[in-house]
Amino acid sequence: MPAEEMGKVTNRLRWIFAVSSVVFLVVLAISPIRDYLSDWRRYERNYVRLAETRPDTKRLLADFRPEIDQIWIPQMQVVDRCTTCHQGITRPSLADASVPQPFRAHPAIPHRVRDWGCVVCHRGQGLSTSVRDAHETTLAWEQPILPVRYIQASCGVCHRSALPQTPRLEQGRKLLATLNCVGCHRLQGIERPAMVGPNLTNIGTKVSRAWIYKWLRDPRIILASDGSVQVNGYENSDEPRMPKFRLSEKELRALSGYLSTLASDPIPAYKFDPSVVAAWEKRPDVIVQGETRFRQMFCTTCHSLAVTRAGETKLIGGDIGPELTKVGSKVNPDWLAAWLRNPQSYLAHAEMPRYQWSDQDLYVVTRYLQSKLTDPSLLSDVPKLDAPAPDEIQLGRRLFAEKGCSSCHVIKGLAPQTDFGPDLASLGGKTVSQLEFGNSKITRTPVAYIEAKITDPVSVNVAARMPQYSLAAGDLDALTTALLSMTGKSTTAGLEGLILPARQAQFRPAGTFGEIYERYKCYVCHRFNGYGGTLAPDLTNEGSRAQKKWIVEFLKNPQTLRPTLTFRMPQFNMTDDEVSVLADYLSMVMQTPAVNPASVDSQKLTPQMATLGKQLYEVKYQCQSCHTIGSAGGYVGPNLTNAGNWVNAAWIEEWLRNPQSLQPEAIEPHRDFTDEERTALTAYLMTLKQTASSHAGGGPGKGQ
Amino acid sequence: MKPRPSGFASSSASDTATPGCVRRGTGSSACATIALILIAGLATSCRQNRAAVTPDPLAQAYDNEPDWSDSSKAVPLNYQQAQGKRVFYQYCVWCHADSTPAGPSNRSNLNPNPPLANDGATLNALSDDFMRNVITMGGAAAGKSASMPPWGKTLSQDDIEAVIAFYRAIAQPPYQVPARPGPKYSVR
Repeated sequence: MPAEEMGKVTNRLRWIFAVSSVVFLVVLAISPIRDYLSDWRRYERNYVRLAETRPDTKRLLADFRPEIDQIWIPQMQVVDRCTTCHQGITRPSLADASVPQPFRAHPAIPHRVRDWGCVVCHRGQGLSTSVRDAHETTLAWEQPILPVRYIQASCGVCHRSALPQTPRLEQGRKLLATLNCVGCHRLQGIERPAMVGPNLTNIGTKVSRAWIYKWLRDPRIILASDGSVQVNGYENSDEPRMPKFRLSEKELRALSGYLSTLASDPIPAYKFDPSVVAAWEKRPDVIVQGETRFRQMFCTTCHSLAVTRAGETKLIGGDIGPELTKVGSKVNPDWLAAWLRNPQSYLAHAEMPRYQWSDQDLYVVTRYLQSKLTDPSLLSDVPKLDAPAPDEIQLGRRLFAEKGCSSCHVIKGLAPQTDFGPDLASLGGKTVSQLEFGNSKITRTPVAYIEAKITDPVSVNVAARMPQYSLAAGDLDALTTALLSMTGKSTTAGLEGLILPARQAQFRPAGTFGEIYERYKCYVCHRFNGYGGTLAPDLTNEGSRAQKKWIVEFLKNPQTLRPTLTFRMPQFNMTDDEVSVLADYLSMVMQTPAVNPASVDSQKLTPQMATLGKQLYEVKYQCQSCHTIGSAGGYVGPNLTNAGNWVNAAWIEEWLRNPQSLQPEAIEPHRDFTDEERTALTAYLMTLKQTASSHAGGGPGKGQ
Repeated sequence: MKPRPSGFASSSASDTATPGCVRRGTGSSACATIALILIAGLATSCRQNRAAVTPDPLAQAYDNEPDWSDSSKAVPLNYQQAQGKRVFYQYCVWCHADSTPAGPSNRSNLNPNPPLANDGATLNALSDDFMRNVITMGGAAAGKSASMPPWGKTLSQDDIEAVIAFYRAIAQPPYQVPARPGPKYSVR
């Protein structure tokens, strides 16, 4: 460049300056324009516009600021900017469904939205301020919003104990336990039980090779085309616990062959008294007698049977034990009698009580089970199976370990397996990159992964070892919810301090009572100090409630107090000694300090008081709406016909004062009785006594 | 390298493209056009993913209840209504439904017959205040049958509100929020 031209601004240079200035201006403008056009600013402008159309504009805009709004919970490491767009979330006047999202108010929940923010429950990316990043899985953000139908999972992250407000989560946790998922997986808050699947050490003495083959091929699970769960072809709401394994013909033959040879430690066959057999063997009514006895003992409280009513076949009965519709075609007769006499001699952890059988009862009931509860075509589609060859047994033994059978089933002499499947204790907290999707076509979200895995494990991984469950839609949602709630050790450390742990206390009394309690498995149906089943009444306060004489009578001849119940206490045929031990223990130990037997002055329970009580019962409070006396009254509460012989006066008084203090889940309304009314009602109820003759009329066998 | 959110991709492209066009000196109009295209692209990239999705209300619901008058349908419930459903099935179902979890219903035993929970023809006319009073203080206090006990000491205020919300949710014909609040102490 010549010297004279230095410093001279050419036209060309001028143009370059002019153009580049404009370009730089434009480039500089990009950022503010982007900011102006950003999702959150647009929504804030729309919110102001919406607020201006509402009658309470002033209140809606009172603390509105045109900037990013943030909820910060430092101890949980939660930063939540959702309220930047969801401006109306805490405004009750915006609760109506006609208010467009994202401005609608949150429905009422127990936690304050202002204190907790959104992501603690809904997940998603609280830091993000664009719609997509906040709600979906993107390259940088991995935790999408939780679909609302799984929202109860977030409650379970902190509330580890049972929570009545979250039925879906409760159902899912229960399913995880009853389906024995802990056989193969580690799960947060669910302990491995003493027995997962039945012990198979002597399975060869119980069932035939053909039956095992059939069971392994279709373990009773059939998912009908309408999505209902079917057991043995009968519709059922409960999932059978044994899932379907994908086994080839060769594997089925090998496993059934191996298992049918297992009989190392058989229980001795029971020898019936020859005189009983001689007397009953040829009698034409032996099966009818057996069925009557089966019904009188209320076996159907735990076991279900298929019943055809009005052309519709349904399983009727309880689900504590297996359904028995075809049991006669399943088990070996010798095994059946020995099992019924003493279930624990075959399976140490069996939940079935050890009944006191008379030889005659045992004989007629086994005959009934073997001849009436059968299906001749049950094994018709099983190929002919001979005695297993040694190489089949060898292969079967290997497969038993390889397929994970030994995770749930124990065989004496074989090492049990634990943790056959992956640890799921923190599955619910995983992000997309922590999950193995492989080449599957599943949407890349944690929720879709869990759904696919429990619906069809092969869809995630072709070589999946997990068996096939056929869950009803509601159960699927419940299981997914429960799994999503298991986030393991949370990354948000502050959360650990907020977790409400589940309380698990076992009630295992010692001594003679303990033996009887174990023998009849009282805890399978009844609850004692928070431990046990929920099918039957909680007996924690039974000693304060019931008169000892009544307990004795009841144990000898259990009758239901609630006419609508289809499940009733079985007749155990207890001995007098056992009855007196149980009655002593229940009335002395199972008491509540809230009921003081000395608090009722029997002098006050006069006939005049009883007359007043009767009036109050029938007219003022209309107790007959729910309770029956004699033949008239409602079905909701217990029958009070024999209340005077059944309940303690002190219990009635306290119960009338506050039923829920004695039994928190009681549905009897808590009323405002005066002291006099309470005494009058107690006096009246204590006069209600059933005479011995009418008592006998209501014995067992009246049916359901 | 940390992946950048896709929204930033177009602005980084503009940083590199603009000097390039100056060096080649192809004229201002081309640069302005490119800049305009970039801005237009930016604007559209901000508009993406805004397609309105209408999710299935049942799949989005906290819980649902089968429609009592048509078993093929279900009613979506929000949190409060779902709590009402829980309370209803524990305390109310025995007399305000024709089938109960335990089987038969106590409804036919009572005279007068209590209204079904979904009986919109009867209950829609009652104001929330009136319903609250009947439930809290019992039928006798509101000039109705004494068979309806008072629940005010058994249920919490939240439970009672939830039950009313549940009744409103399952009502057939559907419940309409009244324009004016209804009377507190009488049916009409």
